[in-house]
Amino acid sequence: MANLKLPYLATAALSGALFGAGLYVSQMVDPLKVLRFLAIPAGGWDPSLAFVMGAALIVMFIAVQLGKRRSAPLFDVAFHEPEYRKVDRRLVGGAALFGIGWGMAGICPGPAISLIAFLPDNLWIFLVAMFAGSLAGSVVIPSGHARRLADAQ
Amino acid sequence: MESFTPLTATLGGALIGLATAVLWLGNGRIAGISGIFGQLLPPAQTVVWRLVFLVALVAATFAAARLFPGLGAGGDSPARLVEAPAAWGVPTPVWLAVAGLLTGLGTKIGNGCTSGHGVCGLARLSLRSLVATLVFLGVAVITVAVTGVV
Repeated sequence: MANLKLPYLATAALSGALFGAGLYVSQMVDPLKVLRFLAIPAGGWDPSLAFVMGAALIVMFIAVQLGKRRSAPLFDVAFHEPEYRKVDRRLVGGAALFGIGWGMAGICPGPAISLIAFLPDNLWIFLVAMFAGSLAGSVVIPSGHARRLADAQ
Repeated sequence: MESFTPLTATLGGALIGLATAVLWLGNGRIAGISGIFGQLLPPAQTVVWRLVFLVALVAATFAAARLFPGLGAGGDSPARLVEAPAAWGVPTPVWLAVAGLLTGLGTKIGNGCTSGHGVCGLARLSLRSLVATLVFLGVAVITVAVTGVV
């Protein structure tokens, strides 16, 4: 199993660590900061998070271009492209539900996990609910590569 | 606009981009947090690296907060969640439970969140991710305007 070897797991650890540091440095861990970014129609809009997304996008775009020159990543036999390809109602409906949740609390899944570092009051409620919601969603969208491929046809 | 922090936002964004780049070029995986989090239970055989990733993410947040105290929440302690808007009369725990439920359900059905669609998908020039990102950003902006939570 390629995904139990040390370089593979070390890569996952490095990526997770960079991600956590980035969420903190960019202040995306602060739900209030996120909500002030989303509060565009209100006065005193804080556009900072557009810079977070822009910078992340540029770096990842370069990485994707580098990846296209290779047939496989360094520590696995193939790139794992997403199984779903079409824009459908589930994509739009799911994104809309997520948008409501994000707008209510200012916490998307990355910051939800990184906030564990600070153990804020009530965070566990959000995390348990998020996990339950994800489980409930597996009725609509299956987990696992083979099932997803079959579902996407 | 004293809360505008373009330098740390760009630096933090570059770190997040580097994180997604490392996972893609190293392991060929999309660093979408909702996907990594949402497939922690069987039938996925890939639970170990997901756990390693998430533990490292929390540990690095903790370490960054020790190294640069005050940065993460602009001077305040970052250990606070947003309270439910008073006008709605909904207790904050219930508000957070509904928000969490919608976040988990929506990212599962929509197959991604801010990182999976908003960073990785857009960088891969995926039409699905462009549509998803525009929808969840637009709906979140409307939601904040309607709830008046800030």
